[in-house]
Amino acid sequence: MAQGGNNRSRLLLVILLVTSLFLITLDLRGISLTSTSRSATQSFLAPVQRSVSNFFSPVNNFFSDIKNFGKTKAQLKDAQAANAKLKAQVIVSQDIQGQLMQLRDVLDLAGRGHLSVVSGRVIGRGSTSTFSQTITIDVGSRSGVSKDMSVIANGGLVGAVKSVTSNSAIVLLMSDPTFRVGVRLAKTQSAGVLLGQGDSSYILQLLDPSGTIKVGQVLVTLGSDNNRPFVPGIPVGRVIAVDKSTASLTQQATVVGLTNLNNVGVVSVITKAAVQNPKDSLIPTPKPTVTVFVTAPPAISPSAGPTPGQSPNPSPSPSASRPVQ
Amino acid sequence: MSPSRIFSSSGLIIIAFLIQESLVTRINFPIAGFSFYIAVLMGLISFEDRSGAVVIGFIGGIILDLSPTIDAPFGQWAFVMTLIGFLFATNRESIGNFSSRPMALIALVAGGAMLSMVFFLMISALLGENDGAFSQIVIKVLGNGFWTIIFAPLIIPFLSLFHNASLTSRERR
Repeated sequence: MAQGGNNRSRLLLVILLVTSLFLITLDLRGISLTSTSRSATQSFLAPVQRSVSNFFSPVNNFFSDIKNFGKTKAQLKDAQAANAKLKAQVIVSQDIQGQLMQLRDVLDLAGRGHLSVVSGRVIGRGSTSTFSQTITIDVGSRSGVSKDMSVIANGGLVGAVKSVTSNSAIVLLMSDPTFRVGVRLAKTQSAGVLLGQGDSSYILQLLDPSGTIKVGQVLVTLGSDNNRPFVPGIPVGRVIAVDKSTASLTQQATVVGLTNLNNVGVVSVITKAAVQNPKDSLIPTPKPTVTVFVTAPPAISPSAGPTPGQSPNPSPSPSASRPVQ
Repeated sequence: MSPSRIFSSSGLIIIAFLIQESLVTRINFPIAGFSFYIAVLMGLISFEDRSGAVVIGFIGGIILDLSPTIDAPFGQWAFVMTLIGFLFATNRESIGNFSSRPMALIALVAGGAMLSMVFFLMISALLGENDGAFSQIVIKVLGNGFWTIIFAPLIIPFLSLFHNASLTSRERR
């Protein structure tokens, strides 16, 4: 009897393995059934992800909050006792404020580049079991998003649209190991290819063997044919190390992305590129420090009034000036 | 394995899939990430006999293949999970039940979760897919194993209750 049970389970195993292999073969041969089923799943998942995103948006930083809990335990106790309800509201408003700041920055970037964009919230991420680095956003074909469009965030490039449904889209992040983008070293014409590594660093392979790479140089997208999938001039990353080994034919460098892909909450999909190439105009520049000189008013003795023709406010003297930042 | 249990288990797997895709993926885990879905699937398989484990593994793999973010051929996870289901059920018979040796079962669930990812990567390599740098993959697989060990004690008792409730009167005997 037990032997019969074993034989039956082995037969079942073989049948199901063959079925799986059959499905893999169908997929590799390009049968559209499989992609349709995944699109259908995405259409079903997007509203669920959106609802869950609304309820659980503070859950993203669950572990980092736990890590810092000990440091602020005493403060938290006081605050919770005083205004637990207010604290919850503050958390929610901070989350919204963070999203608004990201949205403002990304719209600012798009505005500088004269890019037409559609902005959306991140409602999901590729899970551990998929081995691909993706995010799901809550805008889709209904908002004008289509496959192979560039996606940007406040720092610069995020990735490219991989698939679209009517109300959501999956974006392949630039950190994905399969991600490749043509880039140019800012202020030079040296072109190269940037390769995703699965983490926050990237490899730059320069196409020109005689070109030079310097640490600190910023990379911008080279642009694709018809601006699909990449529009030109989008900031991508900054060179942090140059590989000086002579073993490779092309020069290589390690690059760090300008956008923190782990914390991205709002992104914009570029639906229409600018008529003119923005070239290097979108590269982030350090904000200038504003120095204001405040002049201390001179001590006026009661007897010495202003003489005719003399202003009551004397002109600032350099010695009395002090900079205020 | 009765058809009613296949349906109820499939329902639970779909719920786990929704939780994974909409909630768990939003959490930034410190070490790699946690696949709640694979942990639930391994937990369910751990209560089944060989035939049941193979069927549950196949259904779970097909549902995972439906994930829109996945970049592998459709059927690859089904293949892996069917194979893992069989291997898991074969080895589980020597472990005993959850109430008698809970730690051994949790270790087996975590080991099964890691092994399924390794099998998946091996098949990906055979199919010529790029799943990232070796170091990143190792961190991902070990990280998932670590989180499965942490969370499995919370998940498995619930799955045990579910399994007992879904048994038919004939299966109870």
